[in-house]
Amino acid sequence: MSVSETQTTTRQKRSSQLMVWLLIAIAMLWTLVPLAWMLAGSFKSSADVTASDPQFVFDPTLDNYRNLFTGANDLTPYLWHSLVASSLAAVLSLVLGTLAGYGLSKSTMRRKDDLSFWVISTRMAPIAAVIVPLFLMFRVAGLIDTLPGLVLAYMTFNLPFAIWLMTAFFDDVPPSIEESALVAGCTRWQAFWHVVLPLTKAGLVTTGVLCLVFAWNDYAFATVFAGPSSQTLPIAASQLVTQTGIDWGQLTAIGTIVVLPMIFAGLAVRKWLVTGLTLGAVTGE
Amino acid sequence: MSTAVRAASTSPPTSKVPEPSRSRFRLTFPGALMAPGISILALLSIIPFLTLIVMSFSRVRLLGGLQLDWVGLDNWTRVLQDMDMWASWWRTAIYLVATLGLEMLLGVGIALLLHRVVRGRGLLLSLVLLPMFVAPVIVGLLGRYLTDSTFGLYSWALGKLGYEGDILGGSASALTAVILMDVWEWTPLIAMITLAGLTGVSPSVLEAASLDGAGYWQTLRHVVFPSITGILLVAFLIRAMDAVRYYDIITVTTNGGPADATKTVPIRLFETAFRFFDLGYAAAIGLMMLVVTILISKGFVAVLQRKV
Repeated sequence: MSVSETQTTTRQKRSSQLMVWLLIAIAMLWTLVPLAWMLAGSFKSSADVTASDPQFVFDPTLDNYRNLFTGANDLTPYLWHSLVASSLAAVLSLVLGTLAGYGLSKSTMRRKDDLSFWVISTRMAPIAAVIVPLFLMFRVAGLIDTLPGLVLAYMTFNLPFAIWLMTAFFDDVPPSIEESALVAGCTRWQAFWHVVLPLTKAGLVTTGVLCLVFAWNDYAFATVFAGPSSQTLPIAASQLVTQTGIDWGQLTAIGTIVVLPMIFAGLAVRKWLVTGLTLGAVTGE
Repeated sequence: MSTAVRAASTSPPTSKVPEPSRSRFRLTFPGALMAPGISILALLSIIPFLTLIVMSFSRVRLLGGLQLDWVGLDNWTRVLQDMDMWASWWRTAIYLVATLGLEMLLGVGIALLLHRVVRGRGLLLSLVLLPMFVAPVIVGLLGRYLTDSTFGLYSWALGKLGYEGDILGGSASALTAVILMDVWEWTPLIAMITLAGLTGVSPSVLEAASLDGAGYWQTLRHVVFPSITGILLVAFLIRAMDAVRYYDIITVTTNGGPADATKTVPIRLFETAFRFFDLGYAAAIGLMMLVVTILISKGFVAVLQRKV
């Protein structure tokens, strides 16, 4: 290769690298501007937040957050309902899903494929189609506007998710590990509890976190099943939208409160997110 | 149950032949572990499913005590003849093709870009992923804030570029806006899955391709893409199922308007059930939607069994 040829290829390489970074910068702007604008809005005064010329520089204030917790419509009960309903739904789904997932992974039953398919199709059922019959059942059972009702509603999608995903995580544990535990004299429960389960710690955490995120972020179920004594944060956010106008300062503040914890939870399991969100179909980063 | 557990544990787990003495109905160890979860899931899925079927053949009355009157195929003939309903299906098809198409295109693009970054890829990926964790209802409300015609940041920016007009007020622009909000939230998912696929392509294969004198695009087309088609298909199907599932963004931005421009099937279903309380008719729509997602899940499972 001649010298001039090497120079052109390095120049080409450099300009294509520049192009890569330019495109990445555009992608980052598209991704981050709405979030940054929401965060900024939550610290703006009511005049700044709806100024017709966007205020990029402003005097930050905590008024929006203060008003959320001291105003006529205190956010605390909403926060409490959200916390209780989503964490209960996540924990129950995780416990039942782990047991069932292990069972399904080890099962040799004949209709196993049909059972798995039923589980995944339950998870994927359109929310609107699930809500309609549940509404009737909950009315009969008196579960409308109760936290247990909300927990059950969240389990309609979290339980099948947990079962399916934990099955995938258990499938990845080599059977020889469990077999040697059995040979060493463990009962099957001991082999499961003391040997296999610790090996799927990442799977447990990932499944739990994702269940929590799905339930915490729910809006559709809560609009139908939650009433004054069970309303969650997403409902509080939508209630700020009224005929007379929207308090965007408070709305961006609620948005921030809803979003921040889920971002931390989600990024904490980033390594296993691919596995989790493809329901075990794809592994590795 | 405990005896069943012990009986099962004494037999070597590798033996495939069922013991003849074991009663047909005795729970095996895996069966016992599955029982609680599967029974609750059955309660939460089969009973609603059967209820939905019964409802679709009934007129459901809520006032003065719940009452279901059998009306035969009325709801079904209505749902098949309802031109507004077909318009909603058509709109849903457009919405799905646009969101999924854009998300796949941009997601793969972002993954390819990130794949070329060596230092700082982890940090960039984390930043790209953020929209995925935002509750869809917040995405919708934030979208309204950004596109508001008097103080929205994006309206202001578009105004500088010469576009005036109420974004969520016009039919075409409202549909575009709700599509882009979904694209904003879920493109990261496709990017993340694709990047996982790209990282999985063995470097020696890429090296061999470059030694053979293949350029970047040639390598992509002939080496990289063929080896990640399975993963791309999984990403696509997962997204497709969720795109049919969720409708929060549209609910809080346009709620189907203006003039039905964003009235997709789930929005119409919700409105039929909880604004007009025509629950029987809503049940028929719900079952039709369920058929669509079951078909997509069949595809997903078929891809999985081919072992991606």
